[in-house]
Amino acid sequence: MTFQTFPIAPVALPSPVSFEEVAAAEPQDMASAIGFGLWRALEAAGKDARPLALIVTPAFQNERGRLFGWGASQWGLDHSRILLVRARREAEAIWAFEETLKSGAVAAALAPLEAPSFVATRRLDFAARAGRSSALVLRTRPAGDLSAARLRWRIASAPSAAHPLDARAPGPVRLTAELARSRDGRTGVFTLEQDYETHRLRLAAGLADYGLAAGQSESRRVA
Amino acid sequence: MDRTGRGVTLHAVNDVARDRFRLRPGQSHADARAIAPDLISASAEPDEEVRAMEALAQWFERFSPAVALDGSDGLYLDMTGAAHLFGGEEALLTEILARLKAADIPAQVALADTPGAAWALAHYARKQTCLAPAGGARDAIADLQVEALRLDEATVRLLARFGLQRIGDLYSLPRAGLARRFRSDEGLALVRRLDQALGVEAEPLKPQRPPPDWRAWQVFAEPLLDIDGVAHVLPPLAEALARQLERDGQGARRLALDAVRTDGRVVRLAAGLSAPSRNPAHLLRLLKEKGLEHLDLGFGADALMLTALTAEPLTASQGELEGDVRLAAADTALAGLIDRLQARLGEEAVRRPQPVESHLPERSERWLPAGPRAPPAAAADPGRPRPLLLFDPPEPVEAIAELPDSAPSRFTWRRAQHKVAKSQGPERLSPEWWRPSTVQGPHRTRDYYAVEDDAGRRFWLFRDGLYNREDLEVLPRWWIQGVWA
Repeated sequence: MTFQTFPIAPVALPSPVSFEEVAAAEPQDMASAIGFGLWRALEAAGKDARPLALIVTPAFQNERGRLFGWGASQWGLDHSRILLVRARREAEAIWAFEETLKSGAVAAALAPLEAPSFVATRRLDFAARAGRSSALVLRTRPAGDLSAARLRWRIASAPSAAHPLDARAPGPVRLTAELARSRDGRTGVFTLEQDYETHRLRLAAGLADYGLAAGQSESRRVA
Repeated sequence: MDRTGRGVTLHAVNDVARDRFRLRPGQSHADARAIAPDLISASAEPDEEVRAMEALAQWFERFSPAVALDGSDGLYLDMTGAAHLFGGEEALLTEILARLKAADIPAQVALADTPGAAWALAHYARKQTCLAPAGGARDAIADLQVEALRLDEATVRLLARFGLQRIGDLYSLPRAGLARRFRSDEGLALVRRLDQALGVEAEPLKPQRPPPDWRAWQVFAEPLLDIDGVAHVLPPLAEALARQLERDGQGARRLALDAVRTDGRVVRLAAGLSAPSRNPAHLLRLLKEKGLEHLDLGFGADALMLTALTAEPLTASQGELEGDVRLAAADTALAGLIDRLQARLGEEAVRRPQPVESHLPERSERWLPAGPRAPPAAAADPGRPRPLLLFDPPEPVEAIAELPDSAPSRFTWRRAQHKVAKSQGPERLSPEWWRPSTVQGPHRTRDYYAVEDDAGRRFWLFRDGLYNREDLEVLPRWWIQGVWA
């Protein structure tokens, strides 16, 4: 990753929208991508207490493991809000995804998809808006194909922050989120760190400080 | 043909064999061959017969919800109070016969006050349709042979010896005498059968399928040939069913659509609901998801039945506060969503996690089939960091540790090498010795380590077995149980 391509440092992450794509930079980064996706979904939901749906295929579960509720609750998603939908094939998963979004019963739905067509992504976008929910497509690899997603992310795991008590132990989770495409043309790379207290990701100031854009207050530098 | 202890006998004969050669069921096959040398015969298949009869019984539900099987060659229909729907009793019998003829099923039909009398007329009246007017069963069966009372062979023989050949002969005899003379193994067989035929003793019918309490149905003058036609007439049916359910304060939990085909078969489409509902639009959508377009109508269906097989009380909900209303609407939407997903993806496809009491990660939550309400939590948070993705069962890894009982310093998983940069542990979990082990081998203590490789990826590894204590049979092994974000 080179910082030169982003002359202006991003100030804040764009706020969640109805349809985002979250791709793992490498297949091994899928867990980080799911974590990031969950966080975006919960941010989008805000105070909305409707459940979150995860639509999976057996192929995905065998390869990447199954969602662990106790792990999800450490990302702020309580057991009682999880709805798991098992589809046999990708085509069924896309159908279930669309159906779930437009039902209005869930605050957000996430689905790992291999290769959704552009038309399929358009439909997902409409469905998400019809059901006042947000859609997050998870991809095991970044792809340059056409998609109706308003924001396209590329997530890589990053070495964790220092553990406050034990230097040899992994500390708070960190990951690098690259905004590869957005509707308004804004892109950027963010290093995010999970706050154990609030379960939320925040900009890891120490690392993400690429230099300030003009007009920024000095206080961020010391953060 | 039947194979019996006394040789091969005829099980059933067709019209030609009966009328031209005077063959009859029960005759020995050798005798029959002597009479008709070029007789074509095949083995009897009683199971098939019963199955065919059951299918026919379902088809007869178009006339009456209570259809009972009579052995493998007869059906009882309880038509009490229903004949007027078909234009009277005479018209009903004609219609039944015509429909059976259209489906190429030879039959004799009789209608009487009691199952016994109807049976007698159907079997022994030597007419295709036979109608005993209300209250006329006694006269109608008086001229029939005594066999028509559904008696066993011994009783019939005894009656013949007394010269009692017609049912009418029995009417004038004293009951006490009859009861004494014709006492068989089954008790007072003759008197009881006579009473049942004449309606003195009630004879309950046992319907093949319990008559549903909520059923909407419609018959069409012209058979429906395609699914579009069915889809077109379904909405009024669903509304009629919904009205019935609403009247009784019920909501359907299991729904079935029966299409009665012209060829004497019934095809059924059933769908389950995760929460009781009587919303016609929802019921219709569910049937569509369940595969309405794949319903095999054959040469057309001329009646449709929509049934709530099981129902549960559903009170009309009225939220007082605005928040309640919105919450109820979300619940309804969720129940509807779960139903549609289950109809298409399978009954087990939608799950919700329930935390349960167990220290072993793979047992600390159960994925239950989803309902609109989340299952109650049965365990508290383990209070330790847990990974986002779990491998269940765990996958083996090759790990190297500096000391036998320390954290791994490098490991190989799925043929990729990872160098451990940071690690934390162990978190020691005792085995659940009272349940079978989830990893291969004996029950052993697990030491869990959260490790991070030099690329920042975090894994949850455990060593199965303690060095110097549990390594007697098998050396401790390493497994990966999960991946952190």
